[in-house]
Amino acid sequence: MRIANEYKSGAVSVVGAVLLIVWVGSNAYRQDLFTLAATYALIGLGVYLPYVLGGSLALAYNAYAAVGAYAVGLVSSKTGLPVALGWLAGPVVAATIAVVLGMATRRLSGFYLAAVTLLFSTAFGTWLIDTDWIGSSGGIGGIRPLGLFGWQPTRYQFVVLSALVVLIIAFLVDRLRMSPWGVVLRTARSVPLAVESAGARVPTLNLVVLAIGAGIASLGGSLFATSVHGITPETFTLTIVFLSLFMPLIGGIGTPWGAVLGAVIIVELTLNFSAFSSSGTLILSLGVLVILMVAPRGVLGYIDTVRKRLMPDASAQDGVR
Amino acid sequence: MIEPQLWVSVFEIGSFFSLIALAYLLILEGAGFFNFAIGPYAMVAGLGTSWLVIEKKFSLIPAVSIAVAIVLVLAAATEVVIIRRIRKRSGGGDLPALVAVAAVVFAIEQAAGLSFGRRPLPGQRLATFHRFDIGSAIVQPTSIILVGTTLALFVLVTLWIKTTATGRSLRAVGDNSGAAQLLGLPVGRIRLVAFLVAGFIAAAAGLLFAPKAGVSFDRGLRWTVSGFLALVIGGTGSTWAPLLGGFVLAATQVFVPYYLGGAATDYATLVLALVFFAFRPQGMFTRRVRT
Repeated sequence: MRIANEYKSGAVSVVGAVLLIVWVGSNAYRQDLFTLAATYALIGLGVYLPYVLGGSLALAYNAYAAVGAYAVGLVSSKTGLPVALGWLAGPVVAATIAVVLGMATRRLSGFYLAAVTLLFSTAFGTWLIDTDWIGSSGGIGGIRPLGLFGWQPTRYQFVVLSALVVLIIAFLVDRLRMSPWGVVLRTARSVPLAVESAGARVPTLNLVVLAIGAGIASLGGSLFATSVHGITPETFTLTIVFLSLFMPLIGGIGTPWGAVLGAVIIVELTLNFSAFSSSGTLILSLGVLVILMVAPRGVLGYIDTVRKRLMPDASAQDGVR
Repeated sequence: MIEPQLWVSVFEIGSFFSLIALAYLLILEGAGFFNFAIGPYAMVAGLGTSWLVIEKKFSLIPAVSIAVAIVLVLAAATEVVIIRRIRKRSGGGDLPALVAVAAVVFAIEQAAGLSFGRRPLPGQRLATFHRFDIGSAIVQPTSIILVGTTLALFVLVTLWIKTTATGRSLRAVGDNSGAAQLLGLPVGRIRLVAFLVAGFIAAAAGLLFAPKAGVSFDRGLRWTVSGFLALVIGGTGSTWAPLLGGFVLAATQVFVPYYLGGAATDYATLVLALVFFAFRPQGMFTRRVRT
């Protein structure tokens, strides 16, 4: 019964993803929308790990995503190697950057990490525009399509592939959350002293989780660059950082699937729903403030509360969690 | 000999950064946290005034009053509606408040973009008198007003903190609000005063700096980070510390592009932040407490 409960949100998400893929079909605009949502979901998952589990807030996720995208672009334009190599190189570079930024602020309060990551994101954006060998302001275009062992996915297959990547990463993040390591991490967030005195180094834990988060966000960038066959310095702006911070909050911080749901909601509100097109981001940020005050556990948490109210015996089972 | 005109720029930008940092410091003293919405407050004051004058044909005084009033309302609302409630529920811990403030920053930015327009507007000059020259440098009236107001505000804030009851209780509330409450200090009111005074200083900074470089809705975040950095460089040991931090940061941002090219500013700022955060996060001025 407990196992069934643990996998329930995963199963619901798989069904949701299948329904979305059916809705997308062969419509090119919807395919773009879907891969964008998958990109956002990966960035949101990258934010989720350090922010919700580790309690540290980095704001350089646009830079991490850009690293992933440029890794794909550079592998494609400078080498004859398969594009998929960029998907592997991006996360390594992004994780290294996250560790360096985290090191500088590891004994300070979260405000310092937020500030230094913002500064990095600004400096990185300038560097992208200013550096010739990565295409300066024009970026990198004409990225070769993804090929895996001689198989080249069609547009539709790529949509399915990106859904798979998101589902797998979200599943892994969820497993990580429930693992002993995840439990230590979550304890370190609320009572760092207890964890530190038990022999685990809290600053190191935080550095590791920041690195993993940056790596996941960078995968999002790789996915996007592969999907649109190009990348420019303006692709991943600071707005995406705020949106990605809002994703877990909107969807619900109880589980990483909340970040995925939040990404889908955000893409729908800011891009697909025309009534909001100009003020979508404002409504989002006000919505997030309301969520923070009224329903701190997000949409999924709210559904959970309603479910427990309707079926009181359901709450007994997850009492331990 | 370095160009005198560059020094004029250092004074202007330095004054602006140090005002933003002073606003941070007041909220840090009074409420024990960094209010990242300071930059957006300054942006609203500058952009709001320009928009009222240029688009709505207001004359200067009512436009300035309305813009400053909006900022004061925003500052009070940040504390009363958002931070206070979130802090109460989360029971300490920086993260929920930090996320809420990030949402406030984004909300103010987007609201300003929506209501004042997304294109940059020139700042409004508060007074016009004849420019004068010091050596080969040209000093505009706006620079004199900016630097003069900055010094005046620093003197006033120092006097306020040293001599008035509210000013002196500020530190007590920020250091340990539980103990301050036990002593019978009106904690909620003192925190609100800190936010209002900081909001006013931020508004003044935004208004007076806007004529130099213009102002647009997305400036706030940059100003927020610069002010924070100026505060960290200066330290929190004295009300004068932000002034030093602001000028060090301004000197970096003026002289680095002059010698190394425009893009180097952002790199130098990042390096400056990494160095200070990693090796001297308490800044240059620290308060010595007898134990």
